[in-house]
Amino acid sequence: MPAFEPVLTRNFAVPDSQTLRAYESRGGYQASRKAITEMDPDKVVQIVKDSELRGRGGAGFPCGLKWSFLPKDRQETFMCVNGDESEPATFNNRLLIERDPHQFIEGILISCFATKAATAYVYLRFEYIHAFRIMERAIAEAREAGHLGKNIYGSGFDLEIYCHRGAGAYICGEETGLIESLEGKRGWPRIKPPFPAIEGAFRKPTVVNNVETLACVPHIIERGADWFKSIGTPKSYGPKLYCVSGHVNKQVCVELPLGVTTRELIEDHAGGVWKGRKVKATVPGGISMGVMSADEMDVKLDFEDIKKTGCLGLGTAAVTVMDDQTSMVDYLYNTSRFFAHESCGQCTPCREGTGWMYKIFKRIKAGGGRLEDLDVLTMMANNMGLTPGTTICGLADGAAWPVKNVLAKFRPELEEYIKKNQSSKPLVTPLQKAIAAGTVAEPVALGGRVYPAPQPALRSPGGS
Amino acid sequence: MATIIINGEDHELPEGEKLNAIQAAKLAGVDIPYYCWHPALSVVANCRMCEIEVGQKDAKTGEIKMIPKLVPGCQTPAKDGTVLVTDSAKVKEHQRMIMEYLLINHPLDCPVCDQAGMCGLQDYSYEYGQANHRFVEERVINPKKDVSDEIQLNQDRCIMCTRCVRFTREITQTGELQVMRRGNHAEIGVFPGHPVDNPLAGNVVDLCPVGALLDKDFLHKQRAWFLSKHDAICTRCSTGCNVKAEENKGRLWRFTPRNNPLVNDYWICDEGRASYKAANDDGLLTSSYAKTGGNLASTPIDQALKFVSQALGQVARDGGKVAAVVSPFLTVEEAYLLASYLKGLNAENVLALGPIPSRGEDRTFTPDQTKGRTGDTSFVVPRPFTIHAEKCPNRRGVEAVLAHFQGEVIPFDAISKRVTSGEFQALYFTSDAIDAREAEAEAKALRDGVKFLVVQDTLVTPLAQLADAVLAGATFAEKAGCYVNADGRLQYAEASLPPRDGSLPDLDIFAVLMGRAGGPARSRDILAEVASTIPVFSAADGGVLPEFGVVIGQTNGQAAPELVGAGGRFDDPWQIPRYLKGDRPGEPGPKGGKNA
Repeated sequence: MPAFEPVLTRNFAVPDSQTLRAYESRGGYQASRKAITEMDPDKVVQIVKDSELRGRGGAGFPCGLKWSFLPKDRQETFMCVNGDESEPATFNNRLLIERDPHQFIEGILISCFATKAATAYVYLRFEYIHAFRIMERAIAEAREAGHLGKNIYGSGFDLEIYCHRGAGAYICGEETGLIESLEGKRGWPRIKPPFPAIEGAFRKPTVVNNVETLACVPHIIERGADWFKSIGTPKSYGPKLYCVSGHVNKQVCVELPLGVTTRELIEDHAGGVWKGRKVKATVPGGISMGVMSADEMDVKLDFEDIKKTGCLGLGTAAVTVMDDQTSMVDYLYNTSRFFAHESCGQCTPCREGTGWMYKIFKRIKAGGGRLEDLDVLTMMANNMGLTPGTTICGLADGAAWPVKNVLAKFRPELEEYIKKNQSSKPLVTPLQKAIAAGTVAEPVALGGRVYPAPQPALRSPGGS
Repeated sequence: MATIIINGEDHELPEGEKLNAIQAAKLAGVDIPYYCWHPALSVVANCRMCEIEVGQKDAKTGEIKMIPKLVPGCQTPAKDGTVLVTDSAKVKEHQRMIMEYLLINHPLDCPVCDQAGMCGLQDYSYEYGQANHRFVEERVINPKKDVSDEIQLNQDRCIMCTRCVRFTREITQTGELQVMRRGNHAEIGVFPGHPVDNPLAGNVVDLCPVGALLDKDFLHKQRAWFLSKHDAICTRCSTGCNVKAEENKGRLWRFTPRNNPLVNDYWICDEGRASYKAANDDGLLTSSYAKTGGNLASTPIDQALKFVSQALGQVARDGGKVAAVVSPFLTVEEAYLLASYLKGLNAENVLALGPIPSRGEDRTFTPDQTKGRTGDTSFVVPRPFTIHAEKCPNRRGVEAVLAHFQGEVIPFDAISKRVTSGEFQALYFTSDAIDAREAEAEAKALRDGVKFLVVQDTLVTPLAQLADAVLAGATFAEKAGCYVNADGRLQYAEASLPPRDGSLPDLDIFAVLMGRAGGPARSRDILAEVASTIPVFSAADGGVLPEFGVVIGQTNGQAAPELVGAGGRFDDPWQIPRYLKGDRPGEPGPKGGKNA
């Protein structure tokens, strides 16, 4: 494989890379100048469309296509940049903002020019106070230098960028949840349609893009769509920041062309699995995307191939590695706790389902598991989320996929765990105890019965 | 003609109305269950109960393309060629799942829950749920709290449909209620010191599909299934809100709103809601009185009527004039009979409009769709709701009757002066005003102005104390009849209580005085007579009114078609008593009016 020359991270090692001086000395703001003074917005949209740049936020929606959904006769457009990077184990946006804010601002500038947006909101995660300060400084510098403000480069194009810090909710990383939060409301995702491109922030057409997506835009304008398509794999072009964390020797964020394998990431960039152990499972792109087993380490991490493993998608390309001593029950307990905590409480399946899942895993962990719990979990995992169409946003998919993948790939381990870990202590709830003791019978189905009545809980080995 | 395909059958869509899948299916007789959707509120699609399979039929090829995933019906517009599947295994399985989810943290306290019997969870559990539940963990028990002095919130029963929250944001625009916390700990709540105290607050109780929001006034008093619901009209202001008067054991227990898109939409105000209490008042007259030997003595109603009839007849024979104060609380039929009676005695007799109670100023709530949380509110038809300062139900109806009989409407102040000056020999004073206006001094002046004073009322007023005869009339709950509201809409209210012991409905009082043949007077017969006699009321031809009433002063031919929304009167499915779903034998439909 030919050596890959970093694109998005090329300035990271430069001293004072956050400053305008350093950025301009490396050829910064040339692309925006070129776009704004020499091109018209539609041409910029066309170039981005041609480059087939796909959104880096998780869903992988083509960026240029999203921009072209905006109504032609719109009066006012807003740009919202999604920097609410709350997916566990993901930290590429933070690096992009902290190390090279001007590249990001240039991306916003070109994208706003292309979408005719005069206002851009950068929605930053609450915890990113450092990134927030860096952005504020960089925006001030850019305005000083005439890259922002009124009549940029004498073209008559105006742009203001505002930074907004969230209040620490995972759900505000969903685009309509983000918009609601930005409007000062509770971060509850909206039903679609209407999509934000038609009616978004403050009921105006709105574009919501990820930080990394926009950071790619200046490079596409500068070097052309063909150059961008020369990187990566078919249908997944361009460079991508992969975050590797978990049980590896070196947790890194590394820029690579789309389509590397997990094995390459772990062995070539993360220094291998720690303590000389083996990989048991990896999470391909933030915990909401599911789990890959050790057999699937040679699957390319791009937008298409990864779906063959049964995972939801590439997500944020934040790979978490689990070594062979990790219990999948612990993993599921943690993920389900996370989603039960972060579910916004709007749609019934997610509000109740995530909480139920968490309680089941808690019970299994405490030694009160029953084999039929796995069937209940399968039913829940299969029926909640955007994919079966039962929720407004994708949070429930994120909660369901790890469970679904683990049940498909590691079910024997879970069964083994449940059988071996039967606590002789009282079970979690009195009702459950009564069922186990056989003193309370499950209500008999009165017809239209769908699910078989649960079996009594397994007794602890050796117990009566 | 646009056609929609529901479960494989073609149904025609009505012209000129935007409907969603739930409404279109209802028109076709197919129920799609829902909780969070309400026709007056923005669409949020968060209960996920109404999910169905949706597709589109290609107009040219006839090929049907289905969307692979389930889609909420509330959010699906019904257009030409839309295909809905509401009874597939997939949909049923989904409904079972949602019911299971909704019940995992819901307490099983139906026996002590006021909503039981008209509860969305109960009904849908039975129809769409399953008998098994597999949840064996500890429940989340969110706390019970007060959201105002009148309303209690049992948060453990809440299913987070957010109807109440949207109501306070979009309709009253006071925004007291909001959602707090996340996930299955999410609660509805208010800020400390900011209770839900807007004038329409009580409607959140009716909106709640479960027993989470409850009216403290009604709390634990009656079970829903014991209450007979009567189609009544609120008499506390000239809006003429359609209400259900809920009665059991000879008492009213509450008013709940009855949908009339042309009057009150889905709401009633809190003042009107509390007005049912007047029908249960312990101070109501339980006997008629006649003056014998200088003292008012309790007299059976037939004798009291004979007494009045003779006295007034004597006045007429002596060539004297009788003045009548026609209360704006009387129905159109009663005003008509009273006027016919007195004008029949002596054409010189004078009819005047009773005192018009007025309080505060008109207050209109105009729904603001932009306050809706979601963008797509295209199915929502917001209509303003007004609370009128004029606190009587039938000023316009009485005025129309008076104008017919004597060409002019004499206000109370004018007749009061004339009576005081001694112009008349007798005064016939009707009232059912909840706050009797005439003060003692005024009553004295009226008394002294005439030889013979008849007071017809439901309460003992200062004037009644001085009268020669007191006739115990009916309260708003005890009489059937029509009222004309502030917009000139003639609406029918049925009686919800039988006449009290010792009293007679006002209509019968007048009929007896007149010597009208044919037994007890029926409001429908008299309304038919009104319609044929007074041209303004010609729209009430035959004594039968359309479901949502009719604007008087125009004939059916002139009236523009009124857009009332597809399917007529709206009721949430759980509000409709189950035994009414079919036709009970011998029960007239709502259009005719049961006691008409």
